[in-house]
Amino acid sequence: MPTKDEVFEKIQTALVDALGVDDEDVTPDATLVGDLGAESIDFLDIVFRLEKSFEIKIPRGELFPEDVLTNADYIQDGRVTDVGVEELRKRMPFANLDDFAKNPVVQDFGSLLTVADMCRFVEGKVEVTD
Amino acid sequence: MRFEGKTAIVTGGSNGIGRACVARLVAEGARVAMVDFCDLEVSQAAADEMKDAPGEIVPFQADVRDADRATELVNQLFDQWERIDVLINSAGIVRDGLMAAMTQQQWLDVIGVNLGGTYNYCHAVTQPMMMNRSGSIVNLSSTGAEFPSRGQVNYAASKGGVNGLTRSLAKELASRNVRVNAVAPGMIETGMSAAVRGMVGEKELKKIIPLRRIGQPEDVAQAATFLASDDASYVTGQILRVDGGLSLGGY
Ligand SMILES: NC(=O)c1ccc[n+]([C@@H]2O[C@H](COP(=O)([O-])OP(=O)(O)OC[C@H]3O[C@@H](n4cnc5c(N)ncnc54)[C@H](O)[C@@H]3O)[C@@H](O)[C@H]2O)c1
Repeated sequence: MPTKDEVFEKIQTALVDALGVDDEDVTPDATLVGDLGAESIDFLDIVFRLEKSFEIKIPRGELFPEDVLTNADYIQDGRVTDVGVEELRKRMPFANLDDFAKNPVVQDFGSLLTVADMCRFVEGKVEVTD
Repeated sequence: MRFEGKTAIVTGGSNGIGRACVARLVAEGARVAMVDFCDLEVSQAAADEMKDAPGEIVPFQADVRDADRATELVNQLFDQWERIDVLINSAGIVRDGLMAAMTQQQWLDVIGVNLGGTYNYCHAVTQPMMMNRSGSIVNLSSTGAEFPSRGQVNYAASKGGVNGLTRSLAKELASRNVRVNAVAPGMIETGMSAAVRGMVGEKELKKIIPLRRIGQPEDVAQAATFLASDDASYVTGQILRVDGGLSLGGY
């Protein structure tokens, strides 16, 4: 069973390898898109690496539920509707969506996910010790 | 020895152009998975003929239409080799017939093998190649995609599809240093073209080919392995015609 620190370290390695960033760029509050420059294909790359290093399966679209943002039921005039925000909260219990919910512009969604969110995401999949 | 220490998968590798690609790859040191629909003994016999080459060949029997098999096979090879450097998609068929008489089965067969099979193996290698930040995919297109013959609606559509897939995937994977290209052969002397060559006559064909000869599988394999190798390190999304000038038109 990994400790929280070990989870962070493995995620750091995955992000360094996938995004070509430096170790010290990968801080808990760094955002994947804004600070680390991740693009959509990078999310797949990151998922592959996490699957390998934690020996887990991550269904596509779980870490980054792009399908919600392309679903007309949840989007209106470039903004995520209330129902859409609810759906995102359900799908992303590991992320803090409170700030995003105040002004849910679709374009800003990408820059919301942080390294700490990702740690929580993985911690939900593997048992961690303290 | 451009492929020393490298690994490759060649579909349709037991005959024709695929087989010539395998020969070239092992001659230059690669470990090659020869994937083909035909009986394993046939593939093994083809592999045995190349046993003096510095590389190594492992034959597999698989139908490229089977997506699960593609994934399983590629994952098995990736576990074993820890890298997939090259994929050459050469498995292909023709089921010619005029549109008015074409059956849906003829359409589905050709699209399924030529386009579906190419998709299946490209899909299966994408993750390993992305992870390794390196790889080269070469698809077998045909000049028939852009200069179609009568009776080849299915084939022309499948190869047009391969061209689109090639360009689009090239763009997707470029940031991972994975290159995707295609070769488009003209008239090549293999089992596939035997019927057309017989019908039109080699003499007549040579008249319309500027280089004045029917192409050999090795002619295509040389181009395909160029694209597969680091010699083509800055080439991606291209469809390279290997047709002796056939598609140039004019007089
Ligand atoms: N010969 C030509 O003149 C010519 C011209 C243009 C393009 N091409 C293309 O080059 C490629 C190779 O053709 P070739 O001339 O070497 O043909 P070929 O018939 O000599 O060899 C094709 C190989 O693919 C295999 N194959 C067929 N269906 C398969 C399947 N479902 N799963 C796995 N393997 C399968 C066959 O068993 C055979 O070994 C094809 O994609 C073809 O469309 C050939």
